Amino acid sequence: MNDDPKYDLEQIQRWMQAVIVHPLGVEQGIASDDARQHVDVDSAGIEQVVTRSKALSAVERLGIYGYAYYARLLECLKEEFPAVLHAVGEDAFNAFALGYLQKYPSRSYTLFELGAKFPRYLDETRPADDRGSEGDENTAEADRAAACWIQFVIDLATFERTVGEIFDGPGPEDRVLLRAEQISSLASEQFLTARLVGVECLRLLPLRFPVGDFYKSARRKEEVAPPDPAETFLAVTRVNYTVCHHSLSRAAYELLSALLAGECLADAIERAANSSDGAEEELMANLQTWFADWAARGYFRAIELAG
Amino acid sequence: MRLPRLGLPNLGLGVGLRPVHFAYILENHPPVDWFEAISENFMDSQGRPRRILAQVAERYPVVVHGVSLSIGSADPLDFAYLGKLKRLADTVKACWVSDHVCWTGVAGINAHDLLPMPLNEPSLRHVVERIRVVQDFLERPLVLENPSTYVGFVGSTMSEWEFLTRMSSDADCGLLLDVNNVYVSSVNNDFDPVEYIRSVPHERVVQFHLAGHTNCQTHIIDTHDDYVIDPVWELYRLAHQLTGGASTLLEWDARIPPFPVVHEEVLKARSYMTEQGISLPASDAARHALGDAAGVSNPSVSNPLSFLIPDVQG
Repeated sequence: MNDDPKYDLEQIQRWMQAVIVHPLGVEQGIASDDARQHVDVDSAGIEQVVTRSKALSAVERLGIYGYAYYARLLECLKEEFPAVLHAVGEDAFNAFALGYLQKYPSRSYTLFELGAKFPRYLDETRPADDRGSEGDENTAEADRAAACWIQFVIDLATFERTVGEIFDGPGPEDRVLLRAEQISSLASEQFLTARLVGVECLRLLPLRFPVGDFYKSARRKEEVAPPDPAETFLAVTRVNYTVCHHSLSRAAYELLSALLAGECLADAIERAANSSDGAEEELMANLQTWFADWAARGYFRAIELAG
Repeated sequence: MRLPRLGLPNLGLGVGLRPVHFAYILENHPPVDWFEAISENFMDSQGRPRRILAQVAERYPVVVHGVSLSIGSADPLDFAYLGKLKRLADTVKACWVSDHVCWTGVAGINAHDLLPMPLNEPSLRHVVERIRVVQDFLERPLVLENPSTYVGFVGSTMSEWEFLTRMSSDADCGLLLDVNNVYVSSVNNDFDPVEYIRSVPHERVVQFHLAGHTNCQTHIIDTHDDYVIDPVWELYRLAHQLTGGASTLLEWDARIPPFPVVHEEVLKARSYMTEQGISLPASDAARHALGDAAGVSNPSVSNPLSFLIPDVQG
């Protein structure tokens, strides 16, 4: 019995992996430097490593794994980003996803991590915005439209990923949450020096497109035009295992961000008031309503009083 | 003398727990004997999937079945993963923990596929050593499944059934005999599935898997997307007879029908728990006897992995 195979287990596995994950197919994979550094055979010599069956050659048999690798992971990404798929269409999504899987192959035991860097990848690979002065007006306009479109896709992907993370991440379901009366009943000094503790699942997203309605329509597979760009701030959280999102004004976003960063209410309000023109007036007019709404939506789990 | 099934119970006829059936199961409490949950879909979950699994586990026996242990990989074992697996198994009071005799990736990559190993002495030593480590860590026996395979290696020196026999004996682990995978691999690798079923160590078979597949004429893809075909049922009859019976589970992972259809399919197993003559087509004949060919030009994907889609309001 042969106890000393020509190729050891690690060689065979590194070789086979290099072959089946090659984006141009297993024949290109077999010929690649990555594969040949482990097992130096070409397609003609492949049957020194992999056996043929009665019906299929060794290359055809490896091709089953090569096809499945990308098909399976593309399917997973489509399930995780159905609105992006709806927005860009099958061909463009496949192109994005194939590029993504090559740059960021899965390194986790769980497919929930597969799309974690997809928004980042879309951002990293967006067309460079440096051709404006060289092209004519029509070209510049087309470039601006393309840049606007890809920003929408990045925002949508960011939102979808956030929804997925909140859906399966830590949630507030077993916690007692802060009630609005616990905030409104505080004396003025207590209120200003207090810190609000957000639920772990609350995430704030500053976006350049109002993606929420498009996302919901896309999930229902309805034909809907992408929204026009508009400064958008979303609070995304989970209630009773269902992910919810709400729009915020810039001032409200700044206030909530400061609170979630651990600032006391006085500092958070000051930061928000200085964040934009008119923010101070907006805060004065809405502060009570906001805290009542946010408490009702389950944004906070505790209030920490100074001293 | 070793107890059959490593002394583990015969849970009866179960169904793979899939998200598309969550609502039906929780509302109707169907009379299923047990459920098998994909470990990786739940071990990190702090949301609805984990809550649902807890609810299911309150009512039904549960087995956790993994797809990323990668017991055959040249990479080091992932003890963070094993820690989560152990916690999950303890939390849901899993009757046992299973995975596959395969590798899923190397050099830190996870291909998320059940990739075949060369079946030789070094591979056997490698797997046996790792099974022992995992069993020590989990403090329970590991039950390992024969995967569907589409390639064989020139460096293999033994049959798959010899490999499984020696592996389970040397590592003192259990076997999950996927009868459909035996059939699929027999066609893809030109061996006799009856010899396979007759040759595995029957006393170590803790569980059976059944599933449908896609016949591509030149090969079969383990798609888990259809009813179990008759030749697989006949192999199941033989396996049941030789082992004296073991927990039996139906996997349906793509084009998943309503729960009652899936349940009804696994209940067919009752009809094959009788001793009748075994009449199976040889693998060559089987390739031509099976209908519903998808064709190589429209390839199917093996081992489809169920995914979870969140509900969103706003």
